[in-house]
Amino acid sequence: MAALPRRIIKETQRLMQEPVPGISAVPDDSNARYFHVIVTGPEDSPFEGGLFKLELFLPEDYPMSAPKVRFITKIYHPNIDRLGRICLDILKDKWSPALQIRTVLLSIQALLSAPNPDDPLANDVAELWKVNESEAIRNAKEWTRRYAMDN
Amino acid sequence: MSVSERVQEELEALEAILMDDISITYNEKGYPELVKSTIFPSTADDTDKQYVCVTLEVKLPEKYPDCEPIINLRNPRGLDDSTVNEIYSSIKIKCNEFLGQPVIFELIELIRESLTESNLPTCQCAVCLYGFSEGDSFTKTQCFHYFHSYCLSKHLITTERLYQEEQDKLPAWQKNPKGFNAACPVCREGIICDVNELKTSLPPKDLENAQNFEVTNDLKLLQLKMKELFTYQKKRGGIIDIEAQENKLLLITVTADSSTPPGEDPGPSLTNNGAMDSEVLRGQRCDKRFNVNR
Repeated sequence: MAALPRRIIKETQRLMQEPVPGISAVPDDSNARYFHVIVTGPEDSPFEGGLFKLELFLPEDYPMSAPKVRFITKIYHPNIDRLGRICLDILKDKWSPALQIRTVLLSIQALLSAPNPDDPLANDVAELWKVNESEAIRNAKEWTRRYAMDN
Repeated sequence: MSVSERVQEELEALEAILMDDISITYNEKGYPELVKSTIFPSTADDTDKQYVCVTLEVKLPEKYPDCEPIINLRNPRGLDDSTVNEIYSSIKIKCNEFLGQPVIFELIELIRESLTESNLPTCQCAVCLYGFSEGDSFTKTQCFHYFHSYCLSKHLITTERLYQEEQDKLPAWQKNPKGFNAACPVCREGIICDVNELKTSLPPKDLENAQNFEVTNDLKLLQLKMKELFTYQKKRGGIIDIEAQENKLLLITVTADSSTPPGEDPGPSLTNNGAMDSEVLRGQRCDKRFNVNR
């Protein structure tokens, strides 16, 4: 494997030295481009109290192309499908090399606070979110309680 | 002279000196509330040599100049936090010194002096996250953002290639007749650059001298905590089982539309009866999703 780009090293160091509240990201022992991530559910959202595991991978041409991110913990959200894939513009066509691991994870945390059922990835979740928001929120809370808790 | 007359006199003088470089906002009572001016270093009007700038915002409380105005420095360009904080401290001292007298022009001069002294970007290149060292070739965009020429060229080459790939997929009538527009990585403003010239630049020096990464004890501790959380959540059935989801998907996709490759679509979320709602396939509006095959 080619040497790790300096930018990745710098980002990793900064993530350790100045961690973002509610977010932790640690590189894997065997692959420094693969990060284990925990995002805490934002306050006043149905995901409050949950600890969500994600995986983040920095592709070969990072930061010219976006990191690949996926939820590992089950989550009930209109923009996240049952494989944990996330619908977020900055991970696709709105990626910019000025974004970083920390800004990407902050955006994902913000997506938990502001679900957008008009641009769905999980259609039945989005549908329920639109026709019966209170029931959808109840489901999201129930999933958080059931799947995203810590010991 | 009344307070408002003194303020009026000060602002008239500022407008006479700075002309279009200053903007004054009045409140509904006609009292001046806010004075704004974007300040550049003095470079004998050679704008190509201005590498930094900042917008000074002065809010005037009704008692000004007998009390201190409220100062904000907005949109600093090419300046790192410590330089901006230094300017703030000297502003504070100046305001104190000039209590009871007009201070805005003094502030503008003070900031201009500071900018002239540090007229070299002290910020980091947003692409490689390293600073600018003596001898590095860097580029200032029209929007006052700084990149190593080397880093910016990589960004421009990649975005143009991706743009072309997208265009090639479109039918002729949908293609963008205007062609590729380069954008600033930081603020997405359109920028005009000569990629061929930029790409001949050498990589920045700091990049070569950077430290290597080491796994610290803190890191090991975090890794352990992550592992524990994963094990706990897995025990409670909270971890997404990709294989099971994909198998389910394969079955359903084949019955619904055999031409769709299984890896391209997410599962029909939560349809317990297994019946495929055609909405699920058609409704996917996000293309190029993360391919889960690792």
